[in-house]
Amino acid sequence: MNVHNEINDDIKFLAKSEIRLKILSELNERPNDIRGLVKKTKITYSSVSSNVNKLAENNYIKKVEKKYYLNPIAKIYFKTLMDFKKSIEIIQVYNSFWDKHNITQLSINSIKNITDLKNAQLIETTPLDIYKTHNTTKDQLIKAENVKAIFPYLHPEYPELIEEILINGGNVELIVPKDIFKAIISPIDESLKNRAVKQKRLKVFTVTNSLNLYLTICDEKMSLGLFKNDGSFDQNRILISNDLKAYEWADELFKHVKHMVRQ
Amino acid sequence: MTNIQTKRELNKEFKDVKYILTSSMRAKLLLALYEIPKNLDELRHELKKPSATILHGLKELETINLVRRAHKYYELTSNGYLLTTNMIKLIENWYSLSKSETFWDNHDLSDIPEDIIKNIYLLKDAEYVSSTTSDLSIAFNKYIQLISEASKLQIILPIYSENHFKHLIDLLNSNKLQKLELIMNKEIYESIHKNRKFQKELLKHENVKTTVIDKDLKIFLTYGEEFMALTLFFKDGHYDDSQILIGHDQNSLNWAYELIKYSRR
Repeated sequence: MNVHNEINDDIKFLAKSEIRLKILSELNERPNDIRGLVKKTKITYSSVSSNVNKLAENNYIKKVEKKYYLNPIAKIYFKTLMDFKKSIEIIQVYNSFWDKHNITQLSINSIKNITDLKNAQLIETTPLDIYKTHNTTKDQLIKAENVKAIFPYLHPEYPELIEEILINGGNVELIVPKDIFKAIISPIDESLKNRAVKQKRLKVFTVTNSLNLYLTICDEKMSLGLFKNDGSFDQNRILISNDLKAYEWADELFKHVKHMVRQ
Repeated sequence: MTNIQTKRELNKEFKDVKYILTSSMRAKLLLALYEIPKNLDELRHELKKPSATILHGLKELETINLVRRAHKYYELTSNGYLLTTNMIKLIENWYSLSKSETFWDNHDLSDIPEDIIKNIYLLKDAEYVSSTTSDLSIAFNKYIQLISEASKLQIILPIYSENHFKHLIDLLNSNKLQKLELIMNKEIYESIHKNRKFQKELLKHENVKTTVIDKDLKIFLTYGEEFMALTLFFKDGHYDDSQILIGHDQNSLNWAYELIKYSRR
């Protein structure tokens, strides 16, 4: 284990006290005096005052003309701590999505940037709408001009959906297992396919070993699906998002998988 | 006493962060199981704690679904793996910051966007070089030495410095430097443009691409194929050429590239 591979005392000092964390988060928003902090946090004067002193002693905050300010470097330390907090929240909010699912094909960087998914939405099928997940991604595919996708399995509607995008002049980039390559590509009109390949509008990468990730990026919308630990694809849950952060996150993940495939 | 309602809310808000980060045992177990599953013997040996302590910690982590037991081995669950990866990121972020704390603390960081600041862990292997009172140009010389080996450079240029320009022109003329992109705001561009020599030999050089941006970034970043170098401004607005942060590893390069991308956006 590396020397720095453990929680140091500085992290503990902050994490140990909810009151200190709360004070820092208030001061991160705007500088304030003790009275103001008491009012904002509803914590007693004596607790605020003693913790403010401790924070000042440890160089996290500084008093300038009656108000306390976060030191610039403390601000960064604090932000990285809050980023960790947000990552725990994302793990918990989408617990049913991650739990007992195979996440080995997510890159380390995509996990480290998991907070980019904070505005994502978990779509789950219901007894009244058992195709909800499929229909959601299908809807994204129908409306898309450009698509990047990792399809670990074949859905009979995919060839037609891809064909439609190519007819409309869009770009399609796919990562698929070798054994479904034919099934997904051969139904597409031959001359359309050849033209698209020549114009570099259709690119398909095949994988010999297993893919355990479902990802589509339709223009700027992404959706992500996982396999369960028992090896079956979980058709009942997808995570979708249409904000820029999530799009970039998905794009990085796509690049990562493509890179792995090509090696 | 702070009232119960407030206490409860505070408790709820920071519960998980506190639970994970304040217990050495829980955090150490997560880190120990990060790479591969281990059995009790292996954990006892590695952590040098009695079985009872380790079992107690494992039980706690099992209860919150971060660890699971498979036969005699303990392993991280998917949630455990996601959380531990992010805990390592936090540790590395703090390590990166504290390692070069003087560098970060002395300078104006307000132009580095939050998302890039939060990934400062990528700079954990970068080193900062500081000039000394007996040699004021250590950082600058180090910089010149670095760029003189490069064939391709992208620079976010927030200053007008004839000294820098002369070196760049020499490198371009010697054909060693074959591709140079200068990213700067209008003011810097126009200042360089006013100087005939620099206009001709730098801005109009066939191997130079200029990108004029609207942002006024107080960041001097050089991104090459094998290194990145960062210098910043003091909080009072003056450029500081006495301290430079240099990275040669892929992570540092990735960090710098994000900043280049951001500058052009």
